Amino acid sequence: MSNGKLDRRDFLKVMGVGGVAASVAACDGPSYITSEQGAEQVIPYLSPEEYVIPGKGVWYASTCLQCPAGCGVRGRVREGRVLKLEGNPDTSLNAGKLCQMGQAGLQNHYNPDRVTAPMIRDGGALKEATWEQALALIEEKTGPNSGISGSRFAWLTGPTSGHQGVLLKAHLEAMGSSNHFVHEVINTKVWQAVSRDMLGQSMPTLRLDKAKLVLSFGADFLGTWMSPIHFSGQYGKFRSAPDRGMLIQAEPSMTLTGANADLWVALRPGTEGILALGIANLLIHKEKMDASMLPAAARQLIDRYDVATTSSNTGVSGDRLVRIARHLKNKSPSLVIAGASAAGHAEGYQAVAAAMLLNMVLGNVGKTILPTNEFPFPQLKPIEGGTADLGRFAKALEAGQLDVVFYDGANPLFAAPGHLKLGEKLDAVPFKVAFSQFMDETTARADVVLPVASALEDWGTHVASYMGDETAISFQQPLMEPIFPGTRSTGDLLLALIKMRKPGPFDEIDDFYGYLQSAIGTIPGAIKGDGEDEINTQLWNHILQKGVLEVPAETTTFETSIPAITLSDHSDNAGYPYHLVPTPRAGFYDGRHANIPWLQEAPDQITKVVWNSWAELHPSMAARLGVEEGDIVKITAAGGVIEAMAYIHKGIHPEVVAVPMGQGHTEYGRYAQGRGVNPLSILDPGNDGKTGEMALYGTRIKVEATGRAGRLVKTGATETQHGRKIVATITGDQLRRTEGS
Amino acid sequence: MSIVRNFIQDWSRYRKGIEDGGFHEYEHMWGMVIDLDKCTGCNACSVACYAENNLAVVGEDYFAHGQAMHWMRIERYWDEPNLGDKASKDTQEHGASFMPMMCQQCNAATCEPVCPVAAAYHTPDGLNAQIYNRCIGSRYCANNCPYRLRYFNFYSYYETSWPSPLDMQLNPDITVRDKGVMEKCTFCVQRIRTAKSDAKMDDRKIQDGDIKTACQQTCPTSAIVFGDLMDHESDVHLLWHKHQTKLGTPKQDKKNPELRGYRLYEQLNTEPSVTYLERVREV
Repeated sequence: MSNGKLDRRDFLKVMGVGGVAASVAACDGPSYITSEQGAEQVIPYLSPEEYVIPGKGVWYASTCLQCPAGCGVRGRVREGRVLKLEGNPDTSLNAGKLCQMGQAGLQNHYNPDRVTAPMIRDGGALKEATWEQALALIEEKTGPNSGISGSRFAWLTGPTSGHQGVLLKAHLEAMGSSNHFVHEVINTKVWQAVSRDMLGQSMPTLRLDKAKLVLSFGADFLGTWMSPIHFSGQYGKFRSAPDRGMLIQAEPSMTLTGANADLWVALRPGTEGILALGIANLLIHKEKMDASMLPAAARQLIDRYDVATTSSNTGVSGDRLVRIARHLKNKSPSLVIAGASAAGHAEGYQAVAAAMLLNMVLGNVGKTILPTNEFPFPQLKPIEGGTADLGRFAKALEAGQLDVVFYDGANPLFAAPGHLKLGEKLDAVPFKVAFSQFMDETTARADVVLPVASALEDWGTHVASYMGDETAISFQQPLMEPIFPGTRSTGDLLLALIKMRKPGPFDEIDDFYGYLQSAIGTIPGAIKGDGEDEINTQLWNHILQKGVLEVPAETTTFETSIPAITLSDHSDNAGYPYHLVPTPRAGFYDGRHANIPWLQEAPDQITKVVWNSWAELHPSMAARLGVEEGDIVKITAAGGVIEAMAYIHKGIHPEVVAVPMGQGHTEYGRYAQGRGVNPLSILDPGNDGKTGEMALYGTRIKVEATGRAGRLVKTGATETQHGRKIVATITGDQLRRTEGS
Repeated sequence: MSIVRNFIQDWSRYRKGIEDGGFHEYEHMWGMVIDLDKCTGCNACSVACYAENNLAVVGEDYFAHGQAMHWMRIERYWDEPNLGDKASKDTQEHGASFMPMMCQQCNAATCEPVCPVAAAYHTPDGLNAQIYNRCIGSRYCANNCPYRLRYFNFYSYYETSWPSPLDMQLNPDITVRDKGVMEKCTFCVQRIRTAKSDAKMDDRKIQDGDIKTACQQTCPTSAIVFGDLMDHESDVHLLWHKHQTKLGTPKQDKKNPELRGYRLYEQLNTEPSVTYLERVREV
């Protein structure tokens, strides 16, 4: 074999790998390899590992962590690698379906820009270190002898739940701190606050499939709002004959959901609440609907918004208002929801409350808005994220209250508006530790970087914020061995940190997996029989196979009340006459997926642009500026300037410029770095008065042409069908004639 | 003369649909229905296709030159010619119009007869197949495709598309294509083959639902239905039947012309295996 000669015995020995290897090496090397060289590709055919059948994919259940919705996934594993993700059909949350971000979870896992070894800041730069060195440094700075305790320590994380949440809280407790800042740009905190105040629970179950009409104030429930795949499933039924539902979407710039509306209403940003009250006014006075359930104050408020007032504030014509009210009257039950563009203002809470009020006038509560069962384990409940925490975090930094900050699952230095000056403030914090898969903006300025396992390499349990009908714990299990041996499980690290800081109940537990199993063991009947001490492996395996554990839940009822709502009229701003909409889109989401090549190459749903940022303009705005598609416009807000290429279409209010979130990374690997602009960086200061959530849609801007042009890369050479029958459209009346009941 | 007569007879028999007792030597006739009223244009199908079929990411520059490899792409139009011209409207009245476009698996495919080396051929499953290692890159097929659904490897995209360890994700059931080869949607032929072989191992026939294409499986609103048009119990056949869409004709002769099924550009006589259901808008 050594001379490249092959006797019969050697030939047979290598045949098992030769078939694979030969095709790889065929062009520029010998067409065979030795058994030694091929050893790592050899699978012992006679005694294969459990379940490993060469050439046969096996499906394992887990949980998708690409966004906070918590869909169940199944990964196809072959020869020790996960090759494809699909939705888990055993969940009612996503019922076997996945979005593009979920599909692209693979490229998060296999990303070539993963951090593969711990790093420690040394002389200004991050340098690779060993785990022992990194953990020793963390012990020195945060251990029992560090002198750090109480409010000097903080965690800044993304939303979390389940047993990771328990460990996070345990670590905070061991540190003697209660500083847990939970950051999530795309969230439903305002909706939850309104629901809590008006219905008595923050996440009521929504049934689009039972509604004959959905009126949505900027809730992008098909793209980014709450639980998009769950609602897409409902939408499929909602759009089914014989009782096909109608969708009306009112928003400043078209979202994916708006792009599917029967009636799309361009709305001046910040007037969502007024539109809702104006419609309520028409329902009561024109359509003669009963409003006796409303307190006198609410009725007086509604009376203020007659057609003329509503129209002048919102920019929606009177005819259209009448038409919307008529549809709402005729198509009952309906469902009114309000999303990011309604909530993202100083009066965001008020606007969402006005939408909820409309549900009460229409009698939707109890029909399409139903009480959600109570999840029985409070310690596992989701720890919700929002943008209010980023403001609180910045305040704590400004007051010099923090000496040590740990990050996990959040990238505040990318997502924070410039006016928070978070970079400077964080630089003043003496010790920052990032649990991170990637070198993002925040990680790059940490003092210690701990490379963590990907979602497909780690254990975990997850409880979805929006659960719908099924009260369940969703399980996350490794679908393959870690790609990079230098990475570690977040759960294992949390356990190590807790033990490092304070002796306690976790000392007996070896690793996160052991903890998880013993913790699930305490759930009655889950994996132990009656009166049994030992874990029943069969039951445990069954849970892992299924991916979800349904837990007993108590039914609940609504306790409705109607808060006082106050809304201001729309006001002009001479210096900054226009509005900025930082568009959230399924794809890059808040920017976390900009490092995934499939999603960079996946055209934006509305503009069809790839690999870059753009500014959406209404044709009238474009004409005023004298720009055409691809021309670069300069967008100036009080807090900064960004430039982007124009994309011109009519799915936007004439006073609005929309720039997508997600690009504009200064770090974050080869696919994300140095592409496009980040609209979050120039947001005006301002919060929703009630919840403290940032007014993401409240930024005023001016727009100018720069005289320069770029290359806007997008699919499709044409925006119209040129009279051809490509996407054929028929009217609802025709459908009722053929497929109606 | 008999040659000509045979040719004409065979041709007319070939042109008949499978329902009309036409060319019957197919084992299966894989077909699809896409309900445009349920399609939200979300792009999940497209990314699922990238994951399933080893589609190369070509990057911004090549993309700008029209070299993207999106076998399943979502087209978006702003107008609605059927509902009349709304161009005069100030802002968009309805949403956009989305069209998931992939190889229509034509049964009288315009791409097949022009291939000088018969790399584009028709399988006994009614699939319009592409034999990669026979393809010489003449690009005649792409030139002849009225749907613009064939994608040519102008460069060795694989060299930059999957830097390690991204290459570990590649689906070993199918190839990675190199420079000079034409590729396109296969209706996930690897899934069809696997299901057929599994059915054979179990000594049974393929059942409806055994095969799900990657786009269908992930579609969040279940807008895509795939199956065997020759299986009269299959969902896909029932939908074609319900909407009175048939193979074997360039113009559907519907009893009720208001039914929603139509095939894209079927007037070109390409015999697509995909029926779209018209989108609905309340006006």
